[in-house]
Amino acid sequence: MTAFPAALLPLPVAIPLVICAAMLATAHLLPARLPDILATLSALTVAVLCGVIAVRAADGPLVYWFGGWEPRDGLHLGIGFSVDEASGWVAAFIGLLYALTFVFAWGFFDRTHGHFHILMLLFLAAMVGFCFTRDMFNLFVWFEVMSVAAFALTAYHLAESGLAGAINFTVVNSLAGFLMLGGIGLIYAQTGTLDFEGIAAAVARGGRDPVVAGAFCLVAGALMIKGAIVPFQFWLADAHAVAPSPVSVIFSGAMVSLGLFGLAKVSAVVFGASDQVQHALPALLIGLGCFTALLGGWMALLQRHLKRMLAFSTISHAGIMLTGLGALSVDGTGGMLVYVVGHGLVKGALFMVAGILLATQASIDEIALRGLGRGIWPAGIAMALAGLLLCGLPLGLLDQGTRLIQGALAQQGHGIALVAGVIGAALTGAAVLRAAGRIFLGLGPDPGDEAGAPSEDEREKANRPLWLMLGPCCALLALDMGVPAGLIEHALPRAASAFMHRPVVDAVSEGPGWLPWASVAAALAGAGYGLLRNHLPALLVLPVRATQSAPTRALEALHSGLIGDYAAWLAVGVAMIAAVLAMA
Amino acid sequence: MSVLPYAVAAWLFGIGLYGIATSRNFIHLVGCLGVCQSATYVLLLGLGYRWGGIAPIFYDHPPGTPAVDPVMQALVLTDIVVGATLTALLLVLTIQAHKRGGSLDPEKLRPMRAGGTSGRGQGASRVSDREQSTS
Repeated sequence: MTAFPAALLPLPVAIPLVICAAMLATAHLLPARLPDILATLSALTVAVLCGVIAVRAADGPLVYWFGGWEPRDGLHLGIGFSVDEASGWVAAFIGLLYALTFVFAWGFFDRTHGHFHILMLLFLAAMVGFCFTRDMFNLFVWFEVMSVAAFALTAYHLAESGLAGAINFTVVNSLAGFLMLGGIGLIYAQTGTLDFEGIAAAVARGGRDPVVAGAFCLVAGALMIKGAIVPFQFWLADAHAVAPSPVSVIFSGAMVSLGLFGLAKVSAVVFGASDQVQHALPALLIGLGCFTALLGGWMALLQRHLKRMLAFSTISHAGIMLTGLGALSVDGTGGMLVYVVGHGLVKGALFMVAGILLATQASIDEIALRGLGRGIWPAGIAMALAGLLLCGLPLGLLDQGTRLIQGALAQQGHGIALVAGVIGAALTGAAVLRAAGRIFLGLGPDPGDEAGAPSEDEREKANRPLWLMLGPCCALLALDMGVPAGLIEHALPRAASAFMHRPVVDAVSEGPGWLPWASVAAALAGAGYGLLRNHLPALLVLPVRATQSAPTRALEALHSGLIGDYAAWLAVGVAMIAAVLAMA
Repeated sequence: MSVLPYAVAAWLFGIGLYGIATSRNFIHLVGCLGVCQSATYVLLLGLGYRWGGIAPIFYDHPPGTPAVDPVMQALVLTDIVVGATLTALLLVLTIQAHKRGGSLDPEKLRPMRAGGTSGRGQGASRVSDREQSTS
């Protein structure tokens, strides 16, 4: 290995950090649009660098030890970055998502002195560091930097609803940080090292050990809180719904799935040799994943606040990713990694459409916006396309990830998870398509007096041209559909095996070809039912409405917005993980 | 190693979580979060402690003297920094929420919910106002 690529590894983290420090120091001197340009360029640089690193990492993971503190005689004292191909590509995707988000947010904030860009670059550096690190405590540090940047960005507008959402987000995710730190302390006490490989070797030597299981319980709980898995999902809908649109793009597109990315890495690499953990994982991940996929989809269908609906759809898709992880196979994890990228692209595009509606129509309420989107029909096409991709239209990265996950689940006989994933995707697709039909085609019953929006009047800066906002949105969708499937098929078995530190598999299996179509058909039927309910024969309408009411009201009541309830659910969730681990 | 530090850490985390779950005041809630965080301090320091060990500073001790684990102390220091950041950020958010909502009660500041000042209640009242004006 030449010295050149290894020395490159810290750069994608260092560049945004240096730029954001320089911008903070000169914030009051910079001309108006310079922060936009600088931020976009540095995000692009990060994307390109990560892409180069990923290409170089194809033959084996690249390792960089900070300060030259390489391990000697199996003793790890230094902190290192270790990048395999899959981590490199995920980081490259994150860089690109940021670059497009910066374009989308061009001129979004008037008097910011670049503070928005500074926070976003900090957020970006933390995410790339999170992908690259091979040290448990370093992982925690990036996790916390990511969280703090996210908290500040959520409350950026300092509007009332934004503040309440940001406080809930901050408290729940801080608790996640404490859990993670506790878990890291336990695993360090047991193994005497913080390096992923060192811990893995020590865990393999140790055999069944309650301290290791306890450490995994705490770390996994923390990552699942970040990944918005039921029963930890409550913070997400509050935070995503109120954050500024460009921030929501990053939250849903990258931050939530990074939690699950971290869980995949930790469970495969660090705790891969613990039989107790590996026995508990399928039941735990697939059970929670199914539940999350269904609950998120159902809640998405009930929302009329567009961003809140998209937030619940993110929860549902996080559940689907978790089921892929639960297959514990190279196919499943590989599928989940492709799904992370595909979902990030599509969901990012959808949040951009929501941002466009907020900017041009000054509303985010599906009912109030009925028919108002006709003037900006290109956004409608983008939204409908994204909705179809979301529910499984067999095209592009998201679909490829879905089919890989389905293949892995089918191979191991997890029929329930397969069905839950299809229903979850169909429900979220139905919700998005229903909103697209209502807003851009004016379908659905006339709301009349119901038109009052459920939240305070929201509006985002309006004087930006439509093409500037729609361009990045279309670029995201084009990227999702444009990446050649053959390329992924070729690279994935190798990349996913390297990611999981397992021997290379020859090929990965894919699920049955008709499943995505079933999901699309269900989504179209659901959206059609929502929009044309008044025109359907009464026989068809009544029974469905009757089953909707009671459990639905209970679910709505559960999402109370009260931080106290969320903390109680958090305790229940951690206890649940501990119970499953204890029984394994 | 005694079980006492673990028991204290578990107790602190539990009592802090109970405080958060039942809190009716955001400042009280930030304090409870601090209690939860002290659980991690106790846990980490307890895990790194060696009976009879000195502080891990070898300026006036020969190398090889038994010392407590410096890594854990570094972790606790980082944790304290994180805690200070979080507390500051949460208090800023609390002040802003109080300025805008006029209350520190989580029940009164729910995001987009019935009963909250920014909640569905407002939407409903807006609708009923409109109904009254039309009738």
